[in-house]
Amino acid sequence: MVGLAILRDAPSALLRMRIRFFGRALKARGPFAVVLAAALALFATLAFAFDFPALTGRVVDQANIIPAATRSQIEAKLASLEDKSGIQLVVATVSSLQDSDIETFSVDLARAWKLGEAKKNNGLLLLVAPNERKVRIEVGYGLEGTMTDALTKVIIQSAIVPKFRSGDYAGGVDAGVDAIIDALTVDSAEWQKKVEGARRAAARSHRPDSALRHFPAVRLHRHLDDPQCARADGPMGAARQPDDLHPLSPSSWSGGGAAGAAARAAAIPAFQAAAAISAAAAPRGDW
Amino acid sequence: MAFTFSRMRAAFAALALGLSVAGCGYNTIPTAEENAKAKWADVQNQYQRRADLIPNLVATVQGYAKQEKDVLTSVIEARSKATSVKIDASQLTDPEKVKQFQDAQNQLSGALGRLIAVSEAYPDLKSNQNFLALQSQLEGTENRIAVARRDYVGAVRDYNLTLSTFPSLIWAKTIFSGNKPMATFTASEGADKPPQVKF
Repeated sequence: MVGLAILRDAPSALLRMRIRFFGRALKARGPFAVVLAAALALFATLAFAFDFPALTGRVVDQANIIPAATRSQIEAKLASLEDKSGIQLVVATVSSLQDSDIETFSVDLARAWKLGEAKKNNGLLLLVAPNERKVRIEVGYGLEGTMTDALTKVIIQSAIVPKFRSGDYAGGVDAGVDAIIDALTVDSAEWQKKVEGARRAAARSHRPDSALRHFPAVRLHRHLDDPQCARADGPMGAARQPDDLHPLSPSSWSGGGAAGAAARAAAIPAFQAAAAISAAAAPRGDW
Repeated sequence: MAFTFSRMRAAFAALALGLSVAGCGYNTIPTAEENAKAKWADVQNQYQRRADLIPNLVATVQGYAKQEKDVLTSVIEARSKATSVKIDASQLTDPEKVKQFQDAQNQLSGALGRLIAVSEAYPDLKSNQNFLALQSQLEGTENRIAVARRDYVGAVRDYNLTLSTFPSLIWAKTIFSGNKPMATFTASEGADKPPQVKF
């Protein structure tokens, strides 16, 4: 909690420092310093409060949980998704949420990375924080209609979390990416039915992981053999540089989408009670 | 020739004046003001989105937990109260109004929190597909509300800063002297403390 307080106070402390500097500079160097200080103060308000990893490609594995082979497989899928639909999905794993909740962290990260096309707001971020045991799908405003909150929760619960529980992080991320791509490319109503069918089957057999067998993971592997995809895997595909990623205006990330099992436990006091109750029953993390 | 030259000079002077006025922050006040108003519209939209989810949620819970009448009625009442408090962009400078809005929405948050908490006691309800979908939508909407509020607070801070800092301060005191600082959200009581759970 102390760390959190420091983190929250840091920007305002910076601001105060600069304004004080502004006061002193006013006497010393006149209007130029004032303009400079005002510009600095404005810059401080625009800056993000977190220390984010650099956007080095479609999979940014800061937490180091995805082996190279799986990683290039996932990258190929993500590249093919963008080639076909223009939708930009990026996978990020972070070693720490820096004392924040995953909702705040992921929306700030998506804004900082400017994922998706600016006009369509069609960016998506799959964020995994293995140390905090948290996972979240952050959805750009333009995709909120297709990738609804209910859908992100179903994907997290049925595709990602079971694999994470057994310690298979790479498999969980891979299955999550498959599920997201499938939900985006297949008619979503049809997909929803498929998931519900799988859930009912899982409930009948009382085996939580049997839901995964019904997951249409095969569909995407086909694209890897596709010559289209091989081309995307060439100079443009595998190691996409940040400048290839289209800029998106920051305001188009509205922070929707449900994160895992636990309800949001910050910012909204009334929800804290409900969250604390469910947290008492379940472990703190999503898996 | 001399005539056109002087005309050109006049045009340049007008351009230079325009640029320097823009450079002196003439535009920053209306820009920041419109931005803050737009962010407020987002806040209201997200709260509206939450209000729109509630009738469906209440109907679903009612099907499984009729005996929780008190909680259900308090949600319905808080919702109708919250939707009746609306603020248009020109009223944002009135801290009283903003507080009224915030209080009404907080009351609804409280009632909703209780509704979710009591629903924990009904296993059939908790496994109902419709309820699960509504719950995740509600979670997502609460997230959106938090983000929209944060964005609004940031936009208001930027706008209020343009009214009180140089060089836009010059315009704030002259041409835009009618512009007043906007009110923002106040931290609700206990928001900074972890919740107390009593059994």
